[in-house]
Amino acid sequence: MKVFENYHPIVLFIYFISVLVIAMFETNPVILGLTLLGGVLFALLLVEKKRFVKDLVMILPFMLLVALTNPLFSHNGVTPLFFLNGNAVTLEAILYGIDIAAMIMAVIYWFKCYQEVFGSDKFLYLFGKIIPKVALVISMTLRFIPLLRRQYKKIADAQKCLGMYEDKSIIDKAKVVMKNVSILITWSLENSVDTSMSMKARGYGIKGRTNYHNFKIHKMDKILLIITLLMDVTVFTGMITGNTTFWFYPEITAIKTTLLAFTSYLAHAVLSFTPFIIELKENLKWKYYVWKI
Amino acid sequence: MKSTKQKQIIKILIYILIPVVIVAGATAFGTKKYAFLSIVVMLLACVPFFVSFEKKNAKVERMLALAVLTAISILGRYIFGFIPHFKPITAMVIITGIYMGGEMGFLCGALSAVVSNFIFGQGPWTTFQMFAWGFTGLMAGVFAKQLKENKPALLLYACLAGLSYSLMLDVWSTIWAEGEFNIKRYVGYIITSIPTTLTYIVSNIMFLLILTRPIGEKLDRIRKKYGI
Repeated sequence: MKVFENYHPIVLFIYFISVLVIAMFETNPVILGLTLLGGVLFALLLVEKKRFVKDLVMILPFMLLVALTNPLFSHNGVTPLFFLNGNAVTLEAILYGIDIAAMIMAVIYWFKCYQEVFGSDKFLYLFGKIIPKVALVISMTLRFIPLLRRQYKKIADAQKCLGMYEDKSIIDKAKVVMKNVSILITWSLENSVDTSMSMKARGYGIKGRTNYHNFKIHKMDKILLIITLLMDVTVFTGMITGNTTFWFYPEITAIKTTLLAFTSYLAHAVLSFTPFIIELKENLKWKYYVWKI
Repeated sequence: MKSTKQKQIIKILIYILIPVVIVAGATAFGTKKYAFLSIVVMLLACVPFFVSFEKKNAKVERMLALAVLTAISILGRYIFGFIPHFKPITAMVIITGIYMGGEMGFLCGALSAVVSNFIFGQGPWTTFQMFAWGFTGLMAGVFAKQLKENKPALLLYACLAGLSYSLMLDVWSTIWAEGEFNIKRYVGYIITSIPTTLTYIVSNIMFLLILTRPIGEKLDRIRKKYGI
């Protein structure tokens, strides 16, 4: 069960954009750490445990590589640790490498959560309002992919019945595949014209037609939207006023401890952990009710 | 349908919003402002094509043809998914550009990136893929005449398309990891991605050699038959 999925697409989109923009472009290690933790915890609830472990095993070595190779490319920084081929390997470069790795990992995890929560139906609803034709093309493309796959299977079976076996040699096999693909393309283009005629006959593009969708704005959507926007404003105030600015080069800046900086961190923590908390709360509720039975 | 007044307000809002987003982003994200700006620029570069597709009372047949061509290119990425980086998307985008015009080429490329990433995973790289593939299709449309008649030109274009796609995405990897454009890292990425780039080039050449004529004939035929 995913609860976060039930929010209105516009609210979810604003939420994911805020988190992702901050995750992608902020260097401050406190903010990055919070984003990463929030994303990983949220993914832990969304993704199956087995897949989660598998993904982690795949991602971690890659991140390690990113972190370790950074000093090879950048020799900025004022604290040289040792020299490699005459180039200084600096503490700043290593730490920045770790920072980058954390950032990339955070973005990967948040996109994973986005993928789980924000289905293509929500995407199409959202963009159908701004760019209806392009959104319709995307929607039809998504529908054509399984359709064409099935049609390809049918064509291949029919060709097999006609004696086009594909087990003699690789060249034979390739020839058969090419022929099938060619048939598929002819069929799909003709089919697309049929579809378009049918659409026209049913009045596509006539003024005054509305789209069906099943998304309504509830109270919980408003609450999440207000939380998101408030936290965004706080975090961005911290960024623009330079309270959360953090530089690795040439020298690592100290993390500021002003009131505004703390407020920003707190706001960002709320922003990052909101989905995790919502999901966890509903999970516990569910478990509690099951336990009561 | 929205009234004209509403549309006007939306237009003005967009004109105010874009500079505000850019300036705010550039001040807020000190070290990584280039990464932010590069994504915004890539998205903005795609906007005119989408807007003109919306505005031009695009024929339903054109929309359907675009959907089918995009679906075929993505299906190819799916079918050949077992060979990493060996995919016919670029070839399909080029063919679309040649036979259906640059605008359709651009849209086919950009939409292939968006839709295939529904399956393979969205990320900040989607915007760069959109532009890189879209640009390939657009240029194929611009040089359609030469590419249609001249086989060496087509093969040269296949190489260039693979190369430019790889170079463009390496720009993104560099900016993303560095916060700014570090030429040393860029060269490093180019060198490590040589095998991938070669796979792109080989697959482009192979798919274009095999697919261009049969698909082109079909597209020409369907255009004549139904006047798309």
